[in-house]
Amino acid sequence: MTILVAGGAASGKSAYAEEILCKLSGGAPRIYLATMQPFGAEAAARIAKHRAQRAGRGFQTIECYVNLEAADVPHGSVVLLEDVGNLCANELYDPSGSGEGAADAVVRGVEALQRRCRALVIVSNETASGGMDYAGDTARYLRVLGEVNQRLAALADGVCEVACGIAEYYKGEEPR
Amino acid sequence: MIFITGPLYSGKRAVAKQMLGCDDAELEARCVCDAQELAREREDVEALADELSRCDAVIAAEVGGGVVPLDPAERAARERAGRLACLLAQRAETVVRVFCGIPKTIKGKEK
Repeated sequence: MTILVAGGAASGKSAYAEEILCKLSGGAPRIYLATMQPFGAEAAARIAKHRAQRAGRGFQTIECYVNLEAADVPHGSVVLLEDVGNLCANELYDPSGSGEGAADAVVRGVEALQRRCRALVIVSNETASGGMDYAGDTARYLRVLGEVNQRLAALADGVCEVACGIAEYYKGEEPR
Repeated sequence: MIFITGPLYSGKRAVAKQMLGCDDAELEARCVCDAQELAREREDVEALADELSRCDAVIAAEVGGGVVPLDPAERAARERAGRLACLLAQRAETVVRVFCGIPKTIKGKEK
């Protein structure tokens, strides 16, 4: 079972994703696959906020910034992957990332997770409804993230958009 | 007319081809893509919407989801694009919003 949860910044997508992952987990180990590189105070504060949100839910955190395919996730676990926007940026721009092959690398990584884990909840970002008037390489980033979102949606059993903490399903339905 | 909207790079063209049952070449003849860009050059968005409503399908990307642009021309273009989308939705029998490649009918009957 794979669910793709997408939404804008601070839309409540992360809390919603945790909630459905906990529903899906049964007795399986809960893994949090963290993709954000802890650069600077703002990133550290964001990571602390998400850690506090997860506290008490028994998640084991595994950090993975690039090459998701190689992430050492235990078989039969339930995984919360957060988030695809970071992963795409890392693959595109980090020296250890796959550059032009960013979209393929992320999709291959998700396919590998699907083979290993019992349930997978993927948090992604909707960033492409604010036009194209951006500096530098942002248009390329939007294109890659858009492509990845479409490909992950095709792989998922359920796809929803979260707004104000409320999920609207485009494919499948909320796991019971 | 079918009006198809959604974020940039969300798979709107693929949905249009599927709904019209056509290929890329035919799509070009039957559907206007990137209508939000046409609104950039036009003061008379009502007349533009009337013209576009004669197509089988019109695609416009949602562009109003970000912060208000600093550049006045960009601000005006964004306003017109949003207005055009509302006018097209009024004129369309069917309005579809595409998200991560998945269409959702938000006006009219499911196709």
